[in-house]
Amino acid sequence: MFSGVTALTLFDLVIRSMRKNIKHYYLYFFALIFSVVLYFVFATLQHDPSVIARSGGSMGSAFKAAGILLLFIAGIFVVYANAIFLKRRSREIGLYQLIGLTKGAVARLLIIENTLLSAGALAIGIGVGILVSRLFLLLLMKLVGFDGFIEMTFSTEAVVQTVFVFLAIIVLTSIQMVVAVYRNTLLGLFNADKTGEHPKKPKAFMSGILAIIGMALIAFGYWLSGRMLNELLFVNMLVVLASTILGTYLLFRVTISWLFYQIRKRKQGHLGLYNSLSLAPIMHRMKGNANSLTIITVLSAMTLAMLAGAYSLYYSTEKETRLIYPVDFLFIPTGGSTGEAEAKQFTDELQRQDIAYQYSPIETLQLDGEFEENSVNKLLNSRFWVSVVNEKQLQEAGVDIEIPDAQSAYYYGASTYWLMKSTEVPVNFKLYAPHDGLDISIVKIGEGNVLNPPSGGSQLVVKEELYEEIKEFSSDETIDSQIMMAYGVNLKDKKDLVKASDIFMEMTDNNRARFDYYSNYLASMQSNGLLIFISGFLGLVFLVSTGSILYFKQMTEAEQERSSYATLRQLGFTVQDIMGGIVRKQMFVFGVPLLIGLLHSIFAMKAASFIFMSDITLPASIAMGIYALIYLVFAFLTVGYYRKTVKAAL
Amino acid sequence: MDQHKTVLHAQNIRKSYGTRGNVQEVLKGIDLRVMEGEFVGIMGASGAGKTTLLNVLATIDRTTEGSILIGDSDISKMKDRELSAFRRDKLGFIFQDYNLLDTLTVKENILLPVSLGKMKKRVAEDQFKSIADILGIKELADKYPHEISGGQKQRTSAARALINKPSMVFADEPTGALDSKSASSLLGTLEDVNKQRGVTIMMVTHDPVASSYCSRVVFLKDGNIYSELYRGDKTRQAFFQEILKVQGVLGGDSVDAL
Repeated sequence: MFSGVTALTLFDLVIRSMRKNIKHYYLYFFALIFSVVLYFVFATLQHDPSVIARSGGSMGSAFKAAGILLLFIAGIFVVYANAIFLKRRSREIGLYQLIGLTKGAVARLLIIENTLLSAGALAIGIGVGILVSRLFLLLLMKLVGFDGFIEMTFSTEAVVQTVFVFLAIIVLTSIQMVVAVYRNTLLGLFNADKTGEHPKKPKAFMSGILAIIGMALIAFGYWLSGRMLNELLFVNMLVVLASTILGTYLLFRVTISWLFYQIRKRKQGHLGLYNSLSLAPIMHRMKGNANSLTIITVLSAMTLAMLAGAYSLYYSTEKETRLIYPVDFLFIPTGGSTGEAEAKQFTDELQRQDIAYQYSPIETLQLDGEFEENSVNKLLNSRFWVSVVNEKQLQEAGVDIEIPDAQSAYYYGASTYWLMKSTEVPVNFKLYAPHDGLDISIVKIGEGNVLNPPSGGSQLVVKEELYEEIKEFSSDETIDSQIMMAYGVNLKDKKDLVKASDIFMEMTDNNRARFDYYSNYLASMQSNGLLIFISGFLGLVFLVSTGSILYFKQMTEAEQERSSYATLRQLGFTVQDIMGGIVRKQMFVFGVPLLIGLLHSIFAMKAASFIFMSDITLPASIAMGIYALIYLVFAFLTVGYYRKTVKAAL
Repeated sequence: MDQHKTVLHAQNIRKSYGTRGNVQEVLKGIDLRVMEGEFVGIMGASGAGKTTLLNVLATIDRTTEGSILIGDSDISKMKDRELSAFRRDKLGFIFQDYNLLDTLTVKENILLPVSLGKMKKRVAEDQFKSIADILGIKELADKYPHEISGGQKQRTSAARALINKPSMVFADEPTGALDSKSASSLLGTLEDVNKQRGVTIMMVTHDPVASSYCSRVVFLKDGNIYSELYRGDKTRQAFFQEILKVQGVLGGDSVDAL
């Protein structure tokens, strides 16, 4: 009777089914809107003239790369949500076929629906996007340290780009729907909500071994992550990644099932209500959930590490820059000038503007040297160039360092600190003059530099007596360049930095590299601000995607288990009794990926901490804490959904 | 057997559904007394109110009017929480489609009613063993519901209903989904449990064969009790014939058969 279905009646059917199914749709609809909003905001920022003007291209490419990543996540997320959505509606799809609609007609019906839904989401998403993108722009500008007035322009390019991207996604989801209609049998469609595997007795021996291998792989990954800094750094990173991911998969696929099986066996049937509602259904679905739990765990770990890293960079920008540029302004010989004249010109101007400062010329000796073999990281096992600095002159320049005795030295060097950090002192160092060598004992590895680059490199700070000795020992050669002068200017009140920096910028050539603290601080602030913005943005997308996917999955499970809840309530268990078991299950479903993700990311941060000279425990913990809090919101939403289901079950 | 103690006493039970203007009265003032050790069958045509009566007596649904005493407790005055606890401690349930939890083994399913840990593990274990023995499902303890037959599932469900030594067991069409052989075997077992352990059972059914296992059959028609039959010392066969007669007068089966 439906053979003569016209487009109009099909359209009617679409409208009717959409109105009736609103509770199924809203989930998918919000997933779509959410993706559109985020993508649109990103596209807007990418094309925003003030962003482009501020960054001079560097931000543009970062945005482009992040945009592609975002596209991937949004695509996968929408396809995943669509798959869950389709599964929930499979009975309805079956029903249409049962009453005589052809597969083609059902596919057309779904595609019309999907197009209407997506077009609606696109329109709403772009509307919301226009409203919130200004907020994001303000946030971005604040993060990169720009205080000026920001004008927001409406970007047609962003709209076109978003529409284009989501048209592609509509095509993709439509194909997905057609495949779902054509590939499933009627019976399969009717039973789709009943499918769930049945836990089999694991083969004790094999599972036991695999379970242990899973944990061993993770442990090995963690262990190796702390020992990566050698010639094989890149290979090590790949091995760590592979072994941790594989270990995580085995953990979910085998180890947890195996452990649960052992616990259950020990109970001998006396499972108790809470385990019946947590352990048993988890075991029941472990095989099907292992993939998604692994992906969610790994994604969470990556997001957490990315966020913690980016936030630590942003948080420590000032400290890190200070460690590299301990002197506010440093003048060194360049081209024709000795640097002294420039320093004079600069200090004169400071004086004129009433800015208090301290001027200190510092002499350094440039020599070759080498660590005693096998006493430091292998990557440092060669002859390299060091600057020897006089302790007394540094003290005059305001650097508070005191060397204990005339035979030893302190080692400084921001560029090598990550390799030296773990070196055990004292360590012997040999200084070379063209004809001779001199042994010095390094008794302390200091953080960062004592002199701004490029005078920096590796610096050895020694007592004045030793300094003179080295000077004499190396100066029988007639090469002057072994002695280098640098002229440092430190401001007494750091609040004057902005003003002083303006003077400095004006008198120095724009094409020249600058070795002052403040302009380098501004530059790092800008790049780190951009980094934290992009990673925060992507992190939020990851977080909401993983959280929603877990939520969607749990929604489906709640509906599948509704009849169990009805039975339990008939047997006389209260909603609270049942919720007790369900909360336990959610603690597992949300908690385990989060905890393992956190653990992974902590080890990742530990491994990556060599990038930082300062301690990043605090910023990393803050970033991880915020992530966990937002993530837990999804767990609460899920528990709420279950409560509703259980209450309505009887 | 001592039949003087009342287990369940329902007075003037009324139940109506629907909102104002469109009220449908399903139970129209039913009085029913069940003595300890009875095996009561409730029969009637579709729409006569069998299942509604069972749900109301079993505390799953509430009455619109009337009072129900089970043992010494007036369940029509209890709050939801108290009702839940009452069901868990005092009642047992057998459903037409078993209502076993797919994720639990036979033994775990049976032990569910005592799963909040109020019964000592050793006591529960003994109780499980003796019941599983009677119902002949001891060997199935570690099997999952999808691995066993319908008859075995219903035995599991029956075992679950008996595990907490209930004052009364309610069964809603327990043989509805079973083939005749499994059905008679299950009914025989229920009869044994009733006679040997003195468990009071109330069973809703539309099948005269099933109700011939009962000690008393109550016939419902349009929300009222139409008549009652006692088996007394009659053989099951004779009792069956009597039930058929009443059912013929009621004319219900023809409706049900559709």
